[in-house]
Amino acid sequence: MRPFQIHTPATLSDAHAALLAGDAAIVAGGTDILGETKEGIISPSALVSVGDLPELGGIEVSASGASIGGGVTLAEIAGSADIARLYPALAQAAASVATPQIRNVGTLGGNLCQRPRCWYYRSPLFDCLKKGGDTCFAVSGSSKYHAILGGDGCHIVHPSDPAVALAALNAEVEIFDGSGFRRLAIVDFFVGPSRSMISETVLGHAEIVAGIVLPPPAAAARSVYLKAKERRAYDFALASVGAYLEMDEDIVANARVALGGVSPVPHFAAEVSLALEGAAAGEIDAAEIGQLAVRHARPLSDNRYKVRLTANLVARALTILTSDEPPQ
Amino acid sequence: MKTAPPDTQSKPFAAIGQSAVRRDLAEKLTGEAMYAADVYLPRMLIGKILRSPHPHAKIVSVDASHALALPGVCAAVTPFDVPDGKIAPDALILDTEVRFVGDEVAALAAEDEDLARHALDLLRVEYETLPFVTDAVEAMSPHAPPVHPGGNLAGGNPLTLERGSVEEGFDQADFIVEDTFSTPSHSGAALEPRAAVAAWEDDRLTVWKSSRGVHQDQLLLSLALGVPRKSVRVIGQNMGAGYGNKDETRLSVLAAILARRARRPVKIEASRHEEFVAGRHRHGTFTTVKMGVKRDGTVTAVHASTVMDTGAYLSSGPGVIRRAGQGALYLYRCPNVRYDGYLCYTNTPSGGSYRALGAPQGHFALEVIADRAAKAAGMDALEFRLKNHVGPEGQPGERTTPANEIIDTQPLEGGIPFSSNGLRECIERGAEAFGWSQFQPSAEGPLRRGKGMAIFIYRGGPGGRSIARMRLEAAGSFRLVSGVMDVGEGSYTALSQIAAESLGVSVERITTTFGDTDMTPDSPITAGSTATFSAGLAVKRAASDLRARILESASKALGVPASTLDIFGASVRQREGAAAVSLADLASRSGPIEVEAAISPGSSDYVVNSFGAHFAEVEVNTDTGETRVVRYVAAHDSGRIINPRLAVNQVEGGVSQMLGFTLSEQMITDPMSGATLNASFLEHKSPTILEYPDIEVIFADVADPVGPYGAKALGEPPSIGVAPAVINAIRDAVGIEVKDLPATPDRILDLLDERSPTTP
Repeated sequence: MRPFQIHTPATLSDAHAALLAGDAAIVAGGTDILGETKEGIISPSALVSVGDLPELGGIEVSASGASIGGGVTLAEIAGSADIARLYPALAQAAASVATPQIRNVGTLGGNLCQRPRCWYYRSPLFDCLKKGGDTCFAVSGSSKYHAILGGDGCHIVHPSDPAVALAALNAEVEIFDGSGFRRLAIVDFFVGPSRSMISETVLGHAEIVAGIVLPPPAAAARSVYLKAKERRAYDFALASVGAYLEMDEDIVANARVALGGVSPVPHFAAEVSLALEGAAAGEIDAAEIGQLAVRHARPLSDNRYKVRLTANLVARALTILTSDEPPQ
Repeated sequence: MKTAPPDTQSKPFAAIGQSAVRRDLAEKLTGEAMYAADVYLPRMLIGKILRSPHPHAKIVSVDASHALALPGVCAAVTPFDVPDGKIAPDALILDTEVRFVGDEVAALAAEDEDLARHALDLLRVEYETLPFVTDAVEAMSPHAPPVHPGGNLAGGNPLTLERGSVEEGFDQADFIVEDTFSTPSHSGAALEPRAAVAAWEDDRLTVWKSSRGVHQDQLLLSLALGVPRKSVRVIGQNMGAGYGNKDETRLSVLAAILARRARRPVKIEASRHEEFVAGRHRHGTFTTVKMGVKRDGTVTAVHASTVMDTGAYLSSGPGVIRRAGQGALYLYRCPNVRYDGYLCYTNTPSGGSYRALGAPQGHFALEVIADRAAKAAGMDALEFRLKNHVGPEGQPGERTTPANEIIDTQPLEGGIPFSSNGLRECIERGAEAFGWSQFQPSAEGPLRRGKGMAIFIYRGGPGGRSIARMRLEAAGSFRLVSGVMDVGEGSYTALSQIAAESLGVSVERITTTFGDTDMTPDSPITAGSTATFSAGLAVKRAASDLRARILESASKALGVPASTLDIFGASVRQREGAAAVSLADLASRSGPIEVEAAISPGSSDYVVNSFGAHFAEVEVNTDTGETRVVRYVAAHDSGRIINPRLAVNQVEGGVSQMLGFTLSEQMITDPMSGATLNASFLEHKSPTILEYPDIEVIFADVADPVGPYGAKALGEPPSIGVAPAVINAIRDAVGIEVKDLPATPDRILDLLDERSPTTP
C-alpha cells in the first residue's frame, strides 16, 4: 500500500478543490476504498474525506418528494420512518447491505460509487479489463457471481443494493462539479462496459455525488426490494429486484422494475414496466412477467442459476405488490 | 493396558460432571488473554513472506539485494541461502520449486510492517513456470504434471482396506445403491491468524506461537533448524481457534532463521489472506459409496472409495484419507466392507488437519447413500439405522490382534467389542427429542420443510503416550503440570476437574502449568479428540498417586493410619477423629511432594469409539434456493461428561461450523491460474450468527470403562453428522439430492431446474 494523505475539507467546494490536485480519491465511510487501497488495486496519493460535510447530510421529505444527502449513512436511511413509509424499497435495500457496522459508516454516495466485487478485479494477480488489461477472466474462469445481462466484454455486476431500489423509485442523482449541481436519472448515472471499461458511473474528475432526489410517490404506490444471498448478513446480492407499482383503482398506472446482481449496472427492466402498465392487478401472471425480465439473459458457465432466481424474485415482488401480502 | 473394571465409586462425583467455569474465561472476556501476536519484545522486527504468483514454477534466482539495501530491512532468506532442513517430509523450509499460488518463495524482516511489505516488492524473482494441475481426478492421470517427483498419488498406491468380501456381500444383496459425492475444501477461518515470534539468546531459541502441541513444535523446530531439541523452548500462547490445522512450524522456522540473521527477535503474523491461502484447510474429496441391502433392510456390503485432494503438500493427508473410510468400514454391522483411499497432490493450497479429519467427508457420502438404501428397502431412515447400526459387540468377524496387544484406534478387524457404545441410545433419544415420527414435511408458498438424520462413529480418545505431574507445593496448594495445549476447547479446565476429583479437593484449589516446553513434560499434540481422554488418564493417575503420598505423609506426621485420613479443604484430617495437619504444614515438613505418571492409553480388550446421531429440520426456499436450518438435535455418546457446559459448547460449535461446510463455505480455485479467488471472510462465506439454529444437545448416559471417569472423545465428533443430516433433510423437503457440497442457492436452483426447467 502506497502511503497517502488525508484531507478533511470543511466545504463541498474545498473538497472539490482538493480532489483536483493529483490522483486524489474520495473517502466517506471508507468501507470500500480502504479495502481497495490496502489490496493495492488503487494507489491514490490522497484521500479527501467528504462523509462529514454538512452539505452532504440530511434526509428531507416534503410534498415535492425527498432528498437524501450523499453523506447520509445507510443506517440512517434504513432507520428513517419517513423513508420506510414513503419509499419502502429503499429502506429495505439500505437495511439489506452487509452488516450493522458497515451500515453505520457506509454512506449513500459511497454505496453508489463503490467498485465491483468481481474477484478477478479485486485480486492483484489478474490484470483485467477494468484495470486496463485485455481479458475478462470470468469468461473462462469462475463466474458464479457474474453478470447474466449486459456483460459487454466485462462481466462484473454492480454491487449496490440502494441503486436498484432507487432505479425502481425513479430517483435522480445530484452531482457537484465544482461550480454547480446537475441532476440526472439514476439509470443514466451508471455506465456499462460498452461506454466505459474502467468506470461504472458518469462522474468526471473531482465530481462528487451530492445526494439523490426522489419524486413523491403516488397515493396508491407500493414498492419492495428483494435480495437473494448466500447468508443472511454480510453478503452481496446473488440477484435482487426493486419494484414499484402505482395503481389506479385496479389498473397498474405506472410500474418500474429494476434488477441487481445480474448486470454491470443496475438493470432497469423496461419491457417489464411496459408489460405491466395498463394491466389489471388480478390478471397479472407474475411468473410470466418474471420470465420476461430475464428474456435476454446470457449466462456464463457458472451462473445459469441467476436466470431462474431473477425470474422468481421478480414474480415474488409482483405477487407481494399486487396482494395484501406484507413485504418481507 | 488391561482394562480396569468400570468405576465402582459409589459416592457421587464432586468435580466431574460439574460445569466448572473455564479457567481462561475472565482473561478472554476482558481481553487480557495473550495470543502469539500479542508478544512484543524489545528491538523486535516484523517478518513478511513473499508468496508465489504461479501455481507451479522453478525459481531460477532471487535477488534480495535491493530489498536489503533499504534502510530498516535487516535480514532476508531465499531458497538459495536457506538451511537445508525440512519442515515436513515433502517440504523444505524454502524450495526452489513452488507448488501453489501462495507458496513461500522468500522471507525478510524489517523494522515495521509497512517497510517489510514494501521491501517484498523489491525482491527480484525469476521464475520458470511449469505445467500445473488443480483437479485431484485429473492429477491421477498418467499424463498429469507431477507436483512432486514420483507422481501425484501420494505414497504411490491407494490405501485399500477390506473386511470379508464385498463381492460376496453384493451377491447377497437384493438392492444395490451407489453414487458419487463431492465435498469442497473449506477453511477453518480461525479468528486468530497464525503467528510466531522467535528470539535467540546465544544458541538458545525461544518461540512463542499459536500451537496445538509445544513439544511436537519443539521437535520439528530442532529438526528443521539442525539444533538440539534442548536448545529450543516453545511457549504456546492462547489459541484463537485452530480446529486442528495450526500444527505446523513454517512461520516459526522462518522467524527463527530471520531472527538469527538479524540478531534481533522477529515476529511473523499471517494476514487474513495468507491465513486462508497458506493456512491449512479441509481436504476436498470425491467419494463413491456402493451399498448392498436385502429386502428386509439388512446391509450386506459397503464399498467406499475416496479421491482426496491434499493440495501441494502432504501435511496430515495420510491420516485424513484413512479417517474418511472409517464410517464405511465400521458404522453399520456388516461382514463385507471395503475402502479405497486415493490421496492426490495438486497445485492448490495444502489441505491439513481439520476437525474430524476425513470423517465428515466420508460420512456425508455414506449417510446420504444409507437414506437411499433405506428407501430401496421400503424403510424409514430411522428404522434402517436402528436395524443396522453397529452394536456394543462390534463387527462380526474374528479378532486378529494378539490377545494382549492394544487394539488399534480405528481397527478394520471384526470380533472386538466396544468399550462402550451408546449409539442406539443416541438414535432413540435424538429421534424422540426431535419428534422424528410425528414430523410431517410442509409447504407454504415457496417454503418447504423437511427432516433428515445421520449417525456417525469416531475415535474415542486413546492417543499417544501422555505424562502428567501433580505437586503439593510449599504453600499447601496443588499444581497440575502437563504438556498438552488447550486449543480453545477447555481441556485445561477439564483436566483440572479430573485432578480435583482424584485428589478429593475442589477444582478451585488446582493451579496449573501448561504450554511451555521448559516447564512441562513431553506430551502429544492436542489432536484426534484425545486430550481429555489420554492426558486425563495420566492426570488421574498422577493425582491419585499424589493423594496417596499426601495421606501417607500425613499418617506419619499424625501417627494414625492413612486409611482413616482424608483431604478436607486445606488440611488432612481424620474422617472420624480430631487429628489434623494442614497441607501447608505437611509441605513445609516434608518438602513439596511431586509425582509423575505416564500412560499409554488404549485397551487390549476393546475398541474405544465415540458415537452420535444428528437430526435436522430445514426450510428450503424454492424461489431463491436458500436453505435455512430451523431446528437441530445432536445426540452424542462421548462417555461420561466431565464438564457439561463446555461439552455443550463443543457440540454447538462443531455443528455450527459444519453448517458452513454444508451450506456455504468453500475455497474456490481459479481453474485457469490456480489462484484462490475468495480468500476473505466476505467471500469464503463462513456463516454468521444469523445462520445458526437452536441446537438441542443430548448426551447418552454412558460411562466408558477405559476413559478417565468414564469419559470419551468429544472434540471432533460434533462435526461429522451435520452435512448428511442437512442434505437428507433438503431431499425430504424438496425432493432433490445435493451430491456436491456446499448446498448453495445456485446448486439448489440448478437441481430444481434440472427437474423442471422453467427458463429459456
